[in-house]
Amino acid sequence: MEFKDYYKLLGVEPDADVKTIKTAYRKLARKYHPDVNPEPGAEDKFKEVAEAYGVLKNTETRAEYDELYRYGGKSRNGSQPPPGWQGGAQSGGAQSDADFSDFFNSVFGNRGGGFQGYSDFEQSAARGQDVEVEMPIFLEDIVADVAKTIEYRMPVFENGQVRDVNKKLKVKIPKGVSDGERIRLKGQGGSAQGDAPSGDLYLHIRLVPHPMFDVEGHNLLVTLPVAPWEAALGSKVTVPTLTGKISLSVPPNSQSGQKLRIKGKGLPMKNGTGDLYVIFKIVIPENTTDESKALWQSLSEASAFDPRAQWEKQNA
Amino acid sequence: MPNIVLKISLQELCAQEGITETMVIEVVEHGIAEPLTGDDYNDWIFESDSVHWMKKAIRLYHDLDIDWVSISMVIDLLQQKDALLKENERLKSQLDRFVNGGYE
Repeated sequence: MEFKDYYKLLGVEPDADVKTIKTAYRKLARKYHPDVNPEPGAEDKFKEVAEAYGVLKNTETRAEYDELYRYGGKSRNGSQPPPGWQGGAQSGGAQSDADFSDFFNSVFGNRGGGFQGYSDFEQSAARGQDVEVEMPIFLEDIVADVAKTIEYRMPVFENGQVRDVNKKLKVKIPKGVSDGERIRLKGQGGSAQGDAPSGDLYLHIRLVPHPMFDVEGHNLLVTLPVAPWEAALGSKVTVPTLTGKISLSVPPNSQSGQKLRIKGKGLPMKNGTGDLYVIFKIVIPENTTDESKALWQSLSEASAFDPRAQWEKQNA
Repeated sequence: MPNIVLKISLQELCAQEGITETMVIEVVEHGIAEPLTGDDYNDWIFESDSVHWMKKAIRLYHDLDIDWVSISMVIDLLQQKDALLKENERLKSQLDRFVNGGYE
């Protein structure tokens, strides 16, 4: 088992006073706290730092640690346990020690519940853990109102041990959910010891990016490519929606980026339905035949259109 | 099929999440979570979505040893960041569709 250099972890000298230790901890905790830093590895780093601070902030535990530290420092051999080292003194408690290192548990593990480490939520007896699961959903599923099966891992108590098991659950997604929302399934989280209630399951709704539609609240956006003459003269085009194709009139003189709203073709809301916005995108054909080139040519000669008229005005 | 609940009461919150009433009152007073209904705090009902932020706030309170005003600012900024990330993702996707033709 590796000897943990708590001073080094916090970046302080072994003779640092409590205030220095506190400042060092706060700085690192702010940086690595998993609630503000989503980087992988940040949580582990935070736990280490919190463990170090938990031991060093208390005069009693710090004195105890310092004794080990002095020996560890002299021998300069991190893996060599000092004499009197109570290796394997782990208390069988499967619960609260889980977040501490083996090193910590072997030194302070027999301390029972007296030590308050990081995240000292009041341990309400032994209620099962809440579990949060990301739930990817296709836009089509939201509209079709179907039940989805989710699979997740959750902690279960068995013979005093915590074990992760796979669980499958069929869920009907409530109408009107939006991206990023969390829905609660009562009692579907981790199980508890004895008669204590199970935790809850929280599904974090994530809308899967769609090949055609973007989502803005409960509205959908679709980019519609149109030919220059369709935009200029107006035309009838077929537009996809989540529930089937519809026919749409492109008004004459439509511009690129212009939007048309189609009422009620968006995503369902708690009451009502969002809209679909069709955004025009004028596309020029890539391959030009001699004939169409000639037509463009005569158009350019006949037209007095200056797309950069605004620039002229500004520079004048 | 399991019952989906979109709401959680103060009592459930305290009994189940290992959170004390005092903390929930602090969290509400600082605008981190807002009860949907209830004039008296005993009748408070929250949206299940706000549990996530409440827990975050309480963890930060304990772990970083900072006051509630700072925490409400942190939570506010985190929520703003989430919203901006989402908006940025959407705008990027839209721009991509406009310039390159999207996911073809």
